[in-house]
Formats: sequence, structure tokens, C-alpha cells
Amino acid sequence: MNDGEKQTVPTEPFALFDCSLARLAIGRSCSNLRDLLDALRNVPDTVLEHHMMRCALDDHFELYEFPNDLARWCWDALGDRGLAEQLGLVDPYQQPMATLRGMLVNLIEDRLWGLERVPWCRPGLELHLASSRMMAFDTGGRLPTLAALAQALPRMSSRSLFYHVHEARRRSGANGASSDDFSAWLEKIGAEPALVARIRAVDFYFLNLNQLRQEFIDAFRLHLTEPQVLLKATA
Amino acid sequence: MMPTLDARPAKRRKRAHKGIHMKLLDRYEEIVGPSEVQRLRQLAARLHGKRIVHVNSTRLGGGVAEILVWMIPLMEELGLSARWEVIEGNPDFYRVTKAFHNGLQGLPILLRNTDFDLHYQINQENAKRLNLEADVVFVHDPQPIYLPHFTPKGRVGRWVWRCHIDCSRPNRSVWKYLEKAIPDYQATLFSMAAFARPLPCPMFLVPPAIDPLSDKNCAIPEEERLETLRKHGIDPDRPLILQVSRFDRFKDPLGVIAAYRLVKPYHPGLQLVLAGGPASDDPEGAEVLREVMDRAGEDPDLRILLLPPDSHRAINALQRSALIVLQKSVKEGFGLTVTEALWKGKPVIGGACGGITLQVHDYHTGFLVHSPEGAAYRIRYLLRYADKRQRMGRIGHEFVREHFLLTRNLRDYLTTLLYLENPGEGILVA
Repeated sequence: MNDGEKQTVPTEPFALFDCSLARLAIGRSCSNLRDLLDALRNVPDTVLEHHMMRCALDDHFELYEFPNDLARWCWDALGDRGLAEQLGLVDPYQQPMATLRGMLVNLIEDRLWGLERVPWCRPGLELHLASSRMMAFDTGGRLPTLAALAQALPRMSSRSLFYHVHEARRRSGANGASSDDFSAWLEKIGAEPALVARIRAVDFYFLNLNQLRQEFIDAFRLHLTEPQVLLKATA
Repeated sequence: MMPTLDARPAKRRKRAHKGIHMKLLDRYEEIVGPSEVQRLRQLAARLHGKRIVHVNSTRLGGGVAEILVWMIPLMEELGLSARWEVIEGNPDFYRVTKAFHNGLQGLPILLRNTDFDLHYQINQENAKRLNLEADVVFVHDPQPIYLPHFTPKGRVGRWVWRCHIDCSRPNRSVWKYLEKAIPDYQATLFSMAAFARPLPCPMFLVPPAIDPLSDKNCAIPEEERLETLRKHGIDPDRPLILQVSRFDRFKDPLGVIAAYRLVKPYHPGLQLVLAGGPASDDPEGAEVLREVMDRAGEDPDLRILLLPPDSHRAINALQRSALIVLQKSVKEGFGLTVTEALWKGKPVIGGACGGITLQVHDYHTGFLVHSPEGAAYRIRYLLRYADKRQRMGRIGHEFVREHFLLTRNLRDYLTTLLYLENPGEGILVA
């Protein structure tokens, strides 16, 4: 156990944000793989962004076997498991939108190339394309210390987690230095490097928001001098 | 009437008891948490004083009216100036709009040119009669859809069409007629992406929601629940399955009866209640009710309740008494009765269509079915496994709290309004 709390002398508190999505239909649906390929070539970036990243805000009861809508649709509706696996591995946070679009198009085109019949779905299982627009809220919450952040985690809304992790990765990823807001702030205030590294290393892509919260709580519990702070907060 | 069970924390009860004014939003805060209400206040602060008008076709009966009953006062409390206007029409008008409704949901219908003319003309009359002066007017469903066409320019800042109906595969003639009204709108709202059709304005996705504090959904005393059962001749000691909905073919009440009959030999004590009520804009209800009563026959365990539109507490009691709630629709805009049942901790067996698919998730909150046989199979399954019923009930309650309570719905409306005012990139609300 180390002494992360004593080392942190924050100059700026962590500003807690929340968010909300305005979801918009685009009036376009895919019922087979060729439809999806055509759509991926033409739809606005906001549609790709929604189905590859912001879908994490939608509630899925199943574990995040596939972390984006496209992979999930190929698995569930088209029954194309190989392609679903490939799409599931595409990391949308590591490259600009144009590159991401190119990767997706390439994967699907390659898949179609080798097939005699185009995979299709039953009526009712179509992929209805949508885009979204983010509305960020400054909650007014300011967390001055590492302990305060740790204490806030169990009660933080899942949308706040999304904003500070998924959206933060998207924002920072465009600059080539992908990071969540928590680890960026911890680094800035001089927190224990092992804690920063652990938070940053959480593979959020395969976690739903509640699982993600638990991962962070576990990380803080290991690195806080007084982990009972967290126990009290979760009680 | 017995008093409602007061589930509020002691501090709040004490404040209310002392006569301290408790705002509506404070009461919802106890259910959804302070941050959710804070978000609403933050959004509304950017819209302070905006004049909002909602227009629909009935004040009583149906999901739209139920939503507007809570939405208007909440918008008011948040500092917007909100009003509710209702169009008027003759029985022939409602026959035509019911045909529109059926046609939008894909039923074959026959309409003459004079029917479209009548709809157009009644919209014109209502545009003259109604007070529509506002910054934003939300027009609900197809009945009043042509109001913008007949309203003088400048009287309304922005028009938004809120479509509660599944119009993914509409009748062509109906859609062609309604589509011509859309260029007067600056935005549309649909309950889910599958319902939207390509339109020349933004199409927001806004699922509806329930009011957890309304008579339909609040906690009720056990004595009141039992009294409701006694009043309707339902045995509280035997298993009850229930469908609450208008007597409408899309709700498939005959399919529910068929499912019940398939299960009855395995559970002789099983009771079925089909509870519905009339709505002033639904002229087909009486005809469907007759068909249902014919099919029900003389079975003493199958009760058909035609309840007045204000029977919210009775429906509440019935939903709380059921072991399983059905909504075996074959077309469904959203299905607020599903939300109500989930909120009361009941597993739901729902037709795999429309908004029901947003709410019912196999093995989590209930089961989606495609036939009376499918419904019967799942009823038998759930009657067999009490532990699974309870688990689904718990999950369903939390699922509704997260996604389908009025605060989320109101947030979506406020978000839409803000979006319309700031049609650029992302918005930061301080």
C-alpha cells in the first residue's frame, strides 16, 4: 500500500461533468451487409461516432461481448460471427474518423468479397442508423483531492463516467494522446504514478458503465491510504 | 378513499406535514436523485420564459394525454410558460384520424378524397379557434398535423411534430398526405429510430415515460388493492395475469385470450383480466370490445373490465395484483402499460414490436413473443418460476427508473428545444 493521498497537492480541483445525448434518427436502415457497406461509405461522421462510441451510453443487459453497435448487429442479426469479431476489435478511440471509416469499409468489403450470398437479417432486426449530439453539464461539483474523487465515484452518474472516460478518450484521441479525464487530472496533481497508470490502463472498451465504475473503485481502494473512505461512500 | 402510502423519507414528510410548500420537482428528486433534477434545472435555465404549447386530440384516455398531464406543470415549474390545447372534431373526423392511425401502423384501410378533405378542413377550423401563439408548438400525432399550414406566419416560432405512432411501414396514401405537412415543421420527434422515415428536418429520438407519482403508478395501500379486486370479482388468492389496453386490434386482446386458454389446463386456478377504457378519439373501441366479449364467453375466470378513463388507481391496483402482465400487441408505438408494469416490479410478456422491444428484454425484464402460443409458453414458464419473476421484477423496476421516468422524457424535450436554438456543435450547459 502506498501513500497516494499525502503526495497529492492539487492546484485545480477536478470539475465533475455530466452529459446527455440528443439522439437523432437519419431515416436510413440496413437489412443486409451491403446496405451497411453503402451506409458506412456515405453517412456523416456523427453516425459512425454514435454507433461505434456513444452506444456505450445505451443500456445493455448482456455483458459487453461486442462493444459497438456494428459488431453486435453482425453477430445478433446477420449471424456473421467472424465479421462481428473483427468489428469488435476495431478501436474507434485510437484514430481519426476518416481512418476509422476506412477501416470499417475495408473490413466489410473484404468480407463481402469472399461470400457468395450477402448476409441479411429477418424483418424487425434491421440496423436503424442514428447520430447524436452531446450536451455536457457542469454539475458544479469540484473535487479538490484524490480522496474526494474516490469518494464521489460510487455516487457519480453513469453518464458522468461516460463523459470523463469515453468522451474524454474521444476528445484527447484526436490529438494523438488518448486519456481519460481522471488519470489526466491525477497526473497533473502529482498522484502516485502507479495509480495513474492503473486508471489509464483500464480497458473500458469491454466494460459497461457499472463495471467500469467498479474497476475504478477497486483501483482507488488499492492506492488510497485510507480505503475506508471508499467503503463509507459505497455503503 | 384510503390515503396513499407515503414512501417519502421522514424529513420530507415532516416538512410536508408542517405545511411547507414542496415543489413537484422536489418530490421527483426523491425517486430519481438530485443530480437528475439539477440537470433539468440547468437546461431549463437556458430556456427561461419560453412559451411552449402542446396540441393533441384528447384530454382523456391514451398515452399522450397521460404524458401531457404531468409535462405541462413540470415545464411551468421549471420556468417555461407551457400550455395544452386540444383540437375538436366531429365523429367523422375521429373516424378518419383512427383510419390514419391504423394506416400508419400498416393496416389496409380505405379512405376517400373527401376524408382527407375533412381532416384538412377540421385542422383549418382548429387553427382559427386555438390559441397557438408560442415560441414552440409541439403537435402530437397526425390529428392536428396541418395546424401550421393554417396558422398565420410569425405567430409560432417553431413547430415540432411529435409522432407517437409506429409508422415504419405506413399505408402509402396516408403517409403521402401527412408528409406534405412536414415542411412546415422545424423538427420531428419519434419514439425510436425504427419509426422514423426520411424527412427534411431533424428527427429526434425520444421514448415516452411514466409519472411515478401519478395515481396510476404511486404506491397504494394494501386494503385499497384488495378492495379493487373484490369490487371486480377477482380472487386475490389465485394467480392473475393481466393486459391493460384500449380495445384495439393492434393490442391483440383475442390473442391474449387464446394464450390464457392454452395455459388454463395446466393452471386451473389462473385468472385473466383484460382491462381497458374508451378514448374519445377511438371510435373502433366498441366494436373490438364486442368481439372480445364474444370470444370470452361465460368463463368466470376471464374478466373484461371496461373502466372509465379516470380509473387510474383501479388500474394501479390490478397491475400490482398481477403475477405477470401482458402486452401482446402486434403493433405498438411505445406501450406505456409495459413501463407501468415494470415499474411495479412485474415481468412483462410483450409482443415483439415497436416500443415494447425497447422495454422488454428476454430473461431480464420479461419475454418478447410472436404468437399466442409464444405468450402461453412464457406464461407457463413464469408461473413455474417465482424466483425468476421476482428477479425480473427487480431489474425491470430499476430499468424504468434509469430510462423511462418523466424526468428523462422532460430532459429530452428540453434538449430538443436547446438544440433547435443552437443548431451547431455540442452544447455546454453551465
